[in-house]
This record gives sequence, structure tokens and C-alpha cells, in this order.
Amino acid sequence: MGLTLRLAWLVLDNTFRNPLRTLLTALGTVALVLVVTLVYTVLDNLDRITTEKSANLKLIATEKWQIPSQLPYRYVAGLAQGAAKSETDTRPTDYMSWAFFLGSLEADQSSRDFNSFIFAFVMEPEKVLTMMDELDELSPDSSDYKNLAAAVEKLKQNKQGIILGQSRMKKLNKKVGDRFKLYSRNYKDISLEFEIVGTFPQGRYDESTTFRRDYLNSALDQYQRDKGKAHPLADKSLNLVWLRVPTRDAFNEVANQIAEAPEFSAPAVKVETASSGIGNFLEGYRDLLWGARFLLAPACMATLALVIANSISISVRERQQEFAVMKVLGFQPYQILLLVLGEALFVGVVAGFFSATATYAFINFGLGGLPFKIGFLPTFDVPVSAILVGTFMGAGTALLGSLIPAWSACSVKVSEIFSRVT
Amino acid sequence: MVASPTDCVIVDHVAKSFRRGSEEVHVLDELSLRVPEGEFLALMGPSGSGKTTLLNLIAGLDRPTSGEVTVRGEPISRLSEGKLALWRTRNIGFVFQFYHLLPVLSAYRNVELPLLLLPMTAAQRRQQVEMALNIVNLSDRMHHRPGQLSGGQQQRVGIARALVTDPALIVADEPTGDLDSKAAEEILALLVALKSSLNKTIVMVTHDPKAAARADRTLHLEKGKLVDEVYGAHTFSGVH
Amino acid sequence: MINTGLTFAIVDSWRLPAWLAFTVWGMGSFLAILLVINRVPVMYNVLNMVVRWRNTLLSAMAFTMVIGLLTVMQAFVNGMYRLTETSGQPGNVLILAEGALDEAFSSLAMADSNDIANQPGILKDGEQPLVSCETYLLAAQSVPQPEGKTKRRFLQIRGLVDPVMAGRVHGMTLDSGEWFSEAGIRPDPDDVNAAPLVEVVMGAGMATEMGRDRGAIDGRSRKEFVVGDRFELNNRVWYVTGILKRTGSSFDSEIWSKQSVVGPMFGKERYTTMVARTADNASAQKLKEFFNTEYTKAQLSAEVESEYYKKLSQTNEQFLYAIIIVACIMAIGGSFGVMNTMYAAVSQRIKDIGVLQLMGFKRRHILVSFVLESLLLALFGGLLGCLIGLFADGWTANSVVSGSGGGGKSVVLELTVDGATLISGLMLAMVMGFIGGFLPAISALRLRALDALR
Repeated sequence: MGLTLRLAWLVLDNTFRNPLRTLLTALGTVALVLVVTLVYTVLDNLDRITTEKSANLKLIATEKWQIPSQLPYRYVAGLAQGAAKSETDTRPTDYMSWAFFLGSLEADQSSRDFNSFIFAFVMEPEKVLTMMDELDELSPDSSDYKNLAAAVEKLKQNKQGIILGQSRMKKLNKKVGDRFKLYSRNYKDISLEFEIVGTFPQGRYDESTTFRRDYLNSALDQYQRDKGKAHPLADKSLNLVWLRVPTRDAFNEVANQIAEAPEFSAPAVKVETASSGIGNFLEGYRDLLWGARFLLAPACMATLALVIANSISISVRERQQEFAVMKVLGFQPYQILLLVLGEALFVGVVAGFFSATATYAFINFGLGGLPFKIGFLPTFDVPVSAILVGTFMGAGTALLGSLIPAWSACSVKVSEIFSRVT
Repeated sequence: MVASPTDCVIVDHVAKSFRRGSEEVHVLDELSLRVPEGEFLALMGPSGSGKTTLLNLIAGLDRPTSGEVTVRGEPISRLSEGKLALWRTRNIGFVFQFYHLLPVLSAYRNVELPLLLLPMTAAQRRQQVEMALNIVNLSDRMHHRPGQLSGGQQQRVGIARALVTDPALIVADEPTGDLDSKAAEEILALLVALKSSLNKTIVMVTHDPKAAARADRTLHLEKGKLVDEVYGAHTFSGVH
Repeated sequence: MINTGLTFAIVDSWRLPAWLAFTVWGMGSFLAILLVINRVPVMYNVLNMVVRWRNTLLSAMAFTMVIGLLTVMQAFVNGMYRLTETSGQPGNVLILAEGALDEAFSSLAMADSNDIANQPGILKDGEQPLVSCETYLLAAQSVPQPEGKTKRRFLQIRGLVDPVMAGRVHGMTLDSGEWFSEAGIRPDPDDVNAAPLVEVVMGAGMATEMGRDRGAIDGRSRKEFVVGDRFELNNRVWYVTGILKRTGSSFDSEIWSKQSVVGPMFGKERYTTMVARTADNASAQKLKEFFNTEYTKAQLSAEVESEYYKKLSQTNEQFLYAIIIVACIMAIGGSFGVMNTMYAAVSQRIKDIGVLQLMGFKRRHILVSFVLESLLLALFGGLLGCLIGLFADGWTANSVVSGSGGGGKSVVLELTVDGATLISGLMLAMVMGFIGGFLPAISALRLRALDALR
């Protein structure tokens, strides 16, 4: 048996000599690595969705100067073509238009609460399958896709159809096939009759709703016929248009075409990639994210290093005699150093790995994502890389925390120790 | 056995046995003895003879399997655990071989410790502590920590701590066992003085015949039984 | 979405001074009971902590970390709460068009404004009602960034008819400079051919933010904007005529300009908002009811201003909720560290425990002594953490406040460390100390005096 192997055995032995202390240190590590894993999850997800893609990009066209973006619906046709004029102009490969419709099942304003509330994307039904984030990536063989495709098919046939998110439908206490009337909150004096034709797959769209664009359009026309004047939002009923382009070059060309098109000047339209749009939105959370990255995570790691340093220094002090004996027996100082570092490392790696893996499993499979929503962004899943990060975090802090105690262990003066004992 | 008003300690047919695994170990076997008020008694005997067990029973640290220990008229084996603790504080002073002082506290604070359990004002405590330290002749060292004192000095602090509650009975377990002969002699002189000038009853366990010689009487234990009695230093004659 | 009911309960209890008072009372009486039971001198614990100062320091620093971080995080949430609480002036009524959930979505007919302003209940200064007519809008500004990039920032612009009246109604005063002119524009002295400059008065927080971005691009000064500074927006150059005094409200993050200039510029020619001042909160409630139910000339949705801003605290709750969870996890982690220290303390002092038991100290005395030691450790580390957290007081940070209706404001807030923050930090430290000390103290009881001394 090689010396390294024997040392490794010794490390394991020592780790289990005071199981209570090892357990407490490990539990402390688990708790603190958990926090770091959560912070990492948020930051990693944000990095991912704000990283510019190079191919198959989604663009968002919105009003240039103002928020909320409110464009006339007539813009859709031109924007869908990327304001292309000639044969040589670049055209988006797909598009989707969105209007936001907020409504309640309660006619009486005072009795409206969150449970009777609906937030709907008013859009082209067929685009649900080709342009909505995540839904456009469903495998055609999956049951989710088949169910959704069936719902979309029904929506195409039924102008009054509506697709609901599963938990929203539960809160409304409805089921597929039910009918209800929706009183709008943002489209004043518009109320619409609906029949539920299907649901979104579980996950990101649990609280979402979608119905047909032409249904809203007819309701606005009807308003004009009834009241003799256009609805106040008649010319502002398009909130944004999604475009899909194959490359970054195509994005730049489309953005230029739209910026220069005279028909999109009043109100003016801007085009940005979805990721840069999200990046701009996150600017509002800049300092919070800074705090999570540069205060919360480091403070957790520092606390962890302290906990480990404390525990290792206790065990080193209790074993001073033993280290002295080992020295007498011929162990080299570096071997004693390795022994102590190895102990800390072992606990750190095992606890860090366990914590990150458990967090991964619990958040992703137990909770269906981190229950901390930032604005309209989807709930975050713990990335697989978090397991690696958690393990390294445990290892790194363990090394950091055990360095000084390990040094004091290997520099034990044999003569001093024995003179104190006898 | 009839209790005499002058007996400080009466040990009446006391037996003590422990379980060690499946085996029953008899440490004390139907042992009886009396210690009159103001006597300095030494208990000797080889390791495992049961002398420390006997001391613990007398001091109320342990309960006999059968029989009764009466200290100053109080049958202590009938006291509850809580009452026994308070009874010990008021009636027994302990002196140990390794002094057992709290290392972080000064001599003064160590001596004061048992008084904290009694209803006393700070001023009363101060008076008692200073008196006790004065008796053991350590007034000038009262703010030193145990680590700063010699073994003999530490043992004197231990004795002051045993004295401070003014107990009738002092039990000492090998009080000179860890000391050189000069320091041991000082400690023994101190114990004798406590007996003679303060009329304390002292029960001391010892291995050291010289120590036992300073006692009024020496009892020898062997296998849980008393073997003979030796009175006074002058009657000491090769008991081995 | 987070469970709003639970959050509300937590928020309420966290914010309620009564809750804190109750905790302090509870903790105080707990400590008092411990001290009454205690017989082993506290000096004994202190001296022992000094003797093993390395472990004392290591475990106390873990407390310092946790409590310091908690203090900073709480200071942030405090800043958000202060913002949503101070933005509304007492007695103010916010009048929006019916159905508008947020100022940004509202649209009031200009023709109605005069009649609305002259309703009974609204205070007057001579003939002039204390009403501010405003057009609130969010504008997207392209901000140049290093390396030729640009980012887009959302500016909250409030077009005002009368800035002096607006300042009066909102309780905002100028810190430096002057209000923008009646025209709201001025010629560019550097370039007579250029379009006139748009005059603005800037909130202090916004001035900091803009200065920060200017610093990022020119790499030199990150100093906040001052009177005379310019920025570009909507193809125009804007000129700062005044900076508002910082109040900690959401107006700190706004840009105020002439309604007749910015309204048409962004296609919002109508007012979005009217803010009316009444005598007190009761009159404000009455006026609100009146506009919502009896007033028929226009369809309005009135709200007491302070309640309107209170509704924007949903984000606050979300963050508070997250902080509580994170603080709990960290506290648990830290407690394990203390537990290690205390277990070691117990095992190092087995003999002491034995002696104490021989002296007649009861089990409860020994239990209490060790628990007190752990609490002392916690208090020491916690106080240090509070001290470090105090440094965060006065930092500014940007954030977003929003309500459930979807309206949101991008704000600059001031981190606020108050007494409640410090006390709750210390309370958490004590709880950690208790958790960390209790089990080891119990383990000390399981030792028998004689076993320890033999």
C-alpha cells in the first residue's frame, strides 16, 4: 500500500473519529453551500438569457420612446416582413404579435381579486407552437406538444376559444369546455365571452392565458359601432411584435430596415434582440444583482470558511499530542499538513456535493424551479453546473479554512508537547 | 448501632455493588464505622479496596446499595438528588488529589464558588472568602490563577474552598498524593490545625503512611471490609 | 408567484414595532430568567472565552458575517419600504382615469381638469386650488456604454403644468438651481441653430444614476449630475435647471419637465394624473370616495396617495421573503459552527463541570451557564455585525418597486439601517446562539460529576 493511500485512510479514520463534529461541520457546509447555489442559479440563468445568441435569434419590436409600448395594430403586417421593401431586403423567418389583455371574471370591480384575474397574450393562435419561448422547442412526439397542438387547432376553429395555464384554470375553478365572461381592466368597457379549449403544458405558462387577436379586433370594431367613436386604445392595441431571424447580420439588417421605414415613424419602433431587451430590463435590478454576487455569495463563503476553520482548529488542538507522536514516529511535517487539509477537504467536498445535488433535485423536481420570480422572466432551474460549483465551493472554503490550523498542526514542537504532558 | 450525639458520621451496615457487564462487583461489604465530631480519620488500603467508594458514600456523592449513612443525624441516602446537592454544599468540604480548581478563575473566585449557591450578600461572601484564604495563609495570592500557583499553594486554595462554607465535615481524597514531601507536610499540618482549632471532622483517603500518621485514627480497608484500627501516630507500627 | 398571504403576515409582523417589542420583551425576559437561575459567575464564561480566543473569534466572526449581511439586506428592504411609504403625502388624493392601474396607463381629458380641481374638500391657496396636473411617462433612453455598446434605460418623466405647485403638493423642494421656466425650453447658447434645450429639474437619485453612466463612458467623473448638465433623449438635448432635495421617495428617481413640452413630444397630450391636496387623511378618504362614486362629469379612479404607493410594495415583500429565507439558512449554517465551538468547550471543561457539580451546583446551573456563554458569544459577534451593517446606512442602490397590477417604478433608494434592523439582527444572533449552545449544554448535563473527575 502506497504512502498516499495510507494517508488517505488516515484521513478517513480521523474524519469519523469525532462524528458529531464532522456532522455539524458538514451540516453547516450544506446550509451555506445551499445559499451560494441559489445565488449561482439566479446569476447563471440571468447570464444565460442575456447572452446574445449568434443564430436563430428572437427579436422584439416595440415603441421606441415610451413604455408601455403601444403601437397601432396596422404595424403588424409590415413588421412581420421586417419592413422589407425589395426582393433583396432581409425578411424575418417567423413573427408573432402580442397585445396584453388584463381582465377579471368579476363584473363588479370591488370583488375582483387575484383568483379571478386573467392576464392574456392576445395573438395569432398558430404562433403559440412556433414562436412562444420553450413551447417552440417542444418535441413534436411529446404528449405536451400533441395536447397543445390539439388545443391550438380548436382555438383556430373557435374565435371565442381561450387556452389557459393549468394553475390559473384551477384558481378560476374552471375546466376545459367551460365558458365564462371576462371583463377587461385595461380595455375599458370591453368584455368578452370565452370557451376554454385547452391548457398550456405545465411549467412556465401555468399562470398565462392566450386568445385570438381577431377576436379583440372585432370587439374593438364593435365598440366603435356601438358608441360611435373609436375605443381609446383602438390605435394602441399592439404591445409588441416578436420576429425570428437566422443570424446576427439578419438582425442588424432588419433593425435598420425598420428604423428607416417611414411607415414606422409615428410612433417610432425600435428592434432589439430578446436577450438585450431582458438585459435592459434587468438594469433596474443592477444593484441587487451586484449585492447577490459580491456581498451575499462571498459572505456565505466567508462564513463557511470560518465554520470550517473553527472546527478544524478545535480538532487540531485536541490532537496536538498525537501529531507530536506522529513526528516522533517519523512523519514529515508536510504529511501532517496533508492529513489535516485532507480531512477538511473530504468534509467540504462531500457536503458541498451533497448540498448542491440535493438543491438541484429539490428545486428542479420538487418545486419545479426556484420560486423567486423576477418580473416576467420564467422561474429558474438550478443548472447542472451548480453541482460542480457547489462541490468546488465546499472544497475551496474547506482548504481556505483549514490552511492555518493545518499549518499549526504540522509545526507542532515535539519537545514542548511532551514537556507539557509529563 | 445506636446513634451517639457526638458522632459526626455513622456508617451502618453499608454495602455497595456495581454491575460490570453481567458480573456483580461487591465493593463494600456490610461495612460499619463511626467518626466522632472533631476526629481526623485516615482511610488506607490497596487500590480497589473500596476506600474512595466509602468516602463518596460519606460525602453523599453516591448512594449505598443497602445500609445507611448518617451525617450529623441526617440519614443522607434518603435525601433527594436536589436536596442532597444543597446538603453537600452546606455540610461537606471536598479536597482532591489534583486540586480540581477551575483554571480560568483566580484563587479568590475559586474559593467563592460554593458560596454562590447560598443566600449571601456579596459583602458576606467577601468576608468568608478572605477568612478562608487567611486560614490557609494565602491572602497575598488571592488574585492569582491556579496556573500561577505551586502545587502546595493550589491545594491550599482547594482547602480554603472546602472550608469556606464552614462545613462540619471535610473529605479529602489523597490530598497530598500529587505533592512533594515538604508541601505535603504543610498540607497535613493545615488539616491537623483545622481539626484542632476549628473542630472540623476530617475523613481522608491516603496511600501515604506518613500522611495517615498525622490522623487521629487510621482505618484499613481490604476487599470492602475494615481490617483493623490504628490510633494516633504513636501507635503506628508496620501495618503492611 | 410567492404566497402573498404568508408574506403579508411576515411583512406585517416584521414591520410592526409591536412585534419587535414583543420579541425583545420575550428575549429580554428569557435572558432575565437565565440570569436569575445562573449561579456560575459570568466572569468564568468570559475568561474561558478569552482563553480559547481563537475559537471564540472564529465563531463570533461567523455571527458577524451573518448578522452584518442581514443588516445590509434589511437596510435595502427598509429603503424600499421608506420609499413606498414616504412617496405619498398625507392628505393627497391621486386622481387617474377610471380603470387605470397605474399612472402610466391613465389618460384624463384636459377639459375636465378645471372642474375636478375645484371640487369642495380640496385645499386652496387664495383662489388657486392645491392641485398638480401631470403627465407621467416612461421614456426609453439609449445610453452609450464603454466599447461602443449602448444600453437602454427607462426614464420616468413627469410633465408638470406648474412646477412650484407640484413641488408643494408632493413635498419636494429644490436642492440647487431653479425650477424650469414657463416655456420649459431655452435656446442653446452654444449653438443658435440647434433645437432649443428642454429644461428639466432632476431628482437626486436620478442625478446619481446619470452621473454614474456618464462616468462609465468617459471613464473619469462618476459625480452626480448638477445644474447645467445635459443629456440626450428622443433626439433632443435636455438641460438641468435644478436638482431636487433627496427625500427617499420615488420622486428622487424622476425627471420633472414642462407638461406642454414633453407631453406632445411623447404623444401624451393629456394628463395622466392629478394630485389634489386635502386637509388631512380623513378628508382625503372622503374626496376619494366622492370622485369614485358621486362625481359624474368624468369617469375617475381616485386613490389616497399614500395607499397608492403602499400598493407598490409587492416587490418589497418578495425581497423581504427571500431575505428571511436566506437569513434563516445562513443562521442555521452559522449555528452549526457555534455548536462545534460549544461542544468543544464542554468537552474541554468536563473537569470543571465535575467540580461544579461536587460543589453542589445543580444541573440547571450548569445548563444555564453554557447557554449564557453561547449567547454571549452570539451577542459579541452580532453586535460586531450590526456595527459593520451600519456602514450600509446611506448607500444608494437602484431597484424596481411594483405592485400586483403590473405598474412598476424604477427607483433609486437609500439603504436605511434603523433601530428595528439592529435589534432584529441581534435577536437573530441570540436565536442562533441559543440553538448553537443548547444541545452542547444538554450534553454537559449527561456527564456525571464522578466520571468527569476520575
